Amino acid sequence: MTTEDAEARLPLAGIRVIDAATVIAAPYSASILSEFGADVLKVENPLGGDPMRYFGTPTKRKDTLAWLSEARNKKSVTLDLHRPEGVELFKKLIEKSDVLCENFRPGTLEKWGLGWEVLRRVNPGLIMLRVTGYGQTGPYRDRPGFARVAHAVGGIAFLSGMPRGTPVTPGSTTLGDYLTGLYGCLGILMALRYRERTGKGQYIDAALYESVFRCTDELAPAYGMFGRVRERHGPTHNDFACPHGHFPTKDDGKWVAISCVTDKLFERLAIAMGRPELAAAHVYGDQKTRLENRHDVNEIVRDWCGSLHREEILDRCFAAGAPAGPLNSIADIFGDRQFHARRNLVAIDEPDVGETVIVPSVIPRLSATPGRIKHLGPRLGQHTDEVLSGLLGLGQDEIDALRAKRVI
Amino acid sequence: MNEETGSTKTAAERSAAAGAAGDTSSGAALADGPGRADSDSEHAPENDHLPLNGLRVIDVGTFLAGPYAASILGEFGAEVLKVEHPIAGDPMRRFGTASKRHDATLAWLSEGRNKKSVTVDLRQQEGVALFLKLVGKSDVLIENFRPGTMEEWGLGWDELRQANPGLVMLRVSGYGQSGPYRRRSGFAHIAHGFAGLSYLAGFPGETPVVPGTAPLGDYLSSLYGAIGIMLALRHREATGEGQIIDIGIYEAVFRQMDEIAAAYGLFGKVRQREGAGSFVAVPHGHFRTVDDKWVAIACTTDKMFERFAEAMGKPELAAAECYGDQRKRLAARDEVNRIVIDWVGSLTRDEVMQRCIDGEVPIGKVNSIADIFADEHFQARGNLARLTEEGLGEVVIPGVVPTLSATPGRIANLGPPLGNATYEVMRELLGISAQEIKRLRQRRII
Repeated sequence: MTTEDAEARLPLAGIRVIDAATVIAAPYSASILSEFGADVLKVENPLGGDPMRYFGTPTKRKDTLAWLSEARNKKSVTLDLHRPEGVELFKKLIEKSDVLCENFRPGTLEKWGLGWEVLRRVNPGLIMLRVTGYGQTGPYRDRPGFARVAHAVGGIAFLSGMPRGTPVTPGSTTLGDYLTGLYGCLGILMALRYRERTGKGQYIDAALYESVFRCTDELAPAYGMFGRVRERHGPTHNDFACPHGHFPTKDDGKWVAISCVTDKLFERLAIAMGRPELAAAHVYGDQKTRLENRHDVNEIVRDWCGSLHREEILDRCFAAGAPAGPLNSIADIFGDRQFHARRNLVAIDEPDVGETVIVPSVIPRLSATPGRIKHLGPRLGQHTDEVLSGLLGLGQDEIDALRAKRVI
Repeated sequence: MNEETGSTKTAAERSAAAGAAGDTSSGAALADGPGRADSDSEHAPENDHLPLNGLRVIDVGTFLAGPYAASILGEFGAEVLKVEHPIAGDPMRRFGTASKRHDATLAWLSEGRNKKSVTVDLRQQEGVALFLKLVGKSDVLIENFRPGTMEEWGLGWDELRQANPGLVMLRVSGYGQSGPYRRRSGFAHIAHGFAGLSYLAGFPGETPVVPGTAPLGDYLSSLYGAIGIMLALRHREATGEGQIIDIGIYEAVFRQMDEIAAAYGLFGKVRQREGAGSFVAVPHGHFRTVDDKWVAIACTTDKMFERFAEAMGKPELAAAECYGDQRKRLAARDEVNRIVIDWVGSLTRDEVMQRCIDGEVPIGKVNSIADIFADEHFQARGNLARLTEEGLGEVVIPGVVPTLSATPGRIANLGPPLGNATYEVMRELLGISAQEIKRLRQRRII
């Protein structure tokens, strides 16, 4: 199959997305759509562009690594939405597009004359993803929101850390952005399906904190029914399963994760530890008994892990089918066979950056229509001329005039 | 009666199996998102206004990684048949805090939302045959057995696609369907470690802690799964061709970590645990208030810091020669954090919140679930859906995310009793006679 055929087969071939958003959350929705064939036009302010270009570690091209990775496949078109000419051009783009992703504070687009009511008249089938910290409604709608704040408001920062210690970052400060990007992308795909049946567009109102809160299993019902407030648990306490945590090994600084959510899995761990008798019904065979004797069970596992090298522990657990894994650093990950076998890391040579950049590859993995990364994040305004002339039919004179006035 | 007639509800009521806990009466209040909170029920806008109307999904997974994808599809109109072992059912029914219903923990009630339970034993040949019939009448299959398990039962991709050439199949496992670790058992907790997230949670040099919640990776892999299903359905509608979506939980976790791979690849930088902070910006972390509560503050830009300096009543801190520049703040991380710790530590949480909100500084309470229940914004957005079921009382669960303006999702029922739709599905969907159903039940095939 030729590249062109493969492109045409992608599930979102022919879908055009305007990504007028910044940083990660809404733009990540557009990134996923682009991986599966959508044409994504990143509309940026001519002066500086998306702040994501400055977030993280800079490259020789100045744009950061985070930008190069997450703006993958997009085309950059500069347009100043503060100016009437910019607004008019933006409407023309909307007319020729299917999806708009934005994350301005509520009311901003409306102020520019680009609110939902206006845009839906321009394009009745438009699907608009609106991402903000708190959503388009409710008392906090005007507050600035970032993932860090969303983790706090959504309840997972409170749960991260040692009991009664300082709540820590839940692994990554950008988690809530990605989560919201996923919900946003899903919303867009469902709205596209509805549009194809009815011709009707709609908007998706996504809030960073909501995506975080949605991933808290029974936190809400347990408080609602029994008034139980879950606290920070540190590394080895889980309300429902034991052992379930992080354990240090004989190798300094190397840890393993062990997770026995069922009795069967504990039985296998007991075998891996060479102590099958621990899984007997009258010892620790039952989850309830293990939870009641949490301290003793954890002590046994901790002693065992502390007496062996990380690889020894993992080998024994895998041989017995016990659920264990390393706490990998990124250095561990680069050396890991599974990551390589699954091609989770893809090296992309960008002549423009002068380096080979390694980025996470496309997920989800589809068997018939796998997504792809065509190129990394574009330079600011790299595709402005192509889009204005090719898509909107502007002449070179007009483009030059707009550029002279810094509208583009 | 043929398979086209008879409403779901009447069939469910007739079902002897459903007798265990009775029909679910749903309040659906607050489940529809802003402005729709009063749609009370049974006569709320029905399936015509849901984007996944007409779609049938079989969820044969356990716990959350994969099944949550089915939950979302169910919220937006898909009919979800949860296929479970006739005796044990989904272990999720026993995971977490017990409810008054003997077959359901609170986690099951919440995440089993909108599903119908159908019992089929896939370890018996007749069960396999029934399952293939169900697959023939469905659009999507979701599973999360260890790779190779379904193949052992005669339910590999070849058999399934023979039963239904347009089938879209989501396969979630710890490590994916390929690669050297594919047979290892994997749970979110392990995936967080394997993908590098747990390594980053905690204080530098100290114990790595759980990154917030244990099942995070389950939710993440399900979100990617649901996206994959939507993409595959689009392709199927264009070509008639089905396909497989293959997700390792660790991959879904690893995909969240911004530039960690690129920065190691290019500069050999190994990101370490950062406590309550972040490597990209200062101040950016959690701070304790005088009333022993916590706030999160995120000054990602110089502009934010300028506003924050003013909120603290120390505008001079934002001067160019002082800490006005992010690079200077990063270089003087400890000093800047000390100033913030002292300021936040001198005020109550409400005072800190008010001053920062007035000054448009990005701040939030580090909410416990008790804080969340008391929060007016959660209330206003309908994030806490309250459903009442006979014998259980009121159950509060997270509302539907995302919020769609024309076709908002809805929660029609809590996690169903084991086998509550077995009869209905066997009789009406598969056209099996009542007598035959009785026989299958006696033999514990269903």
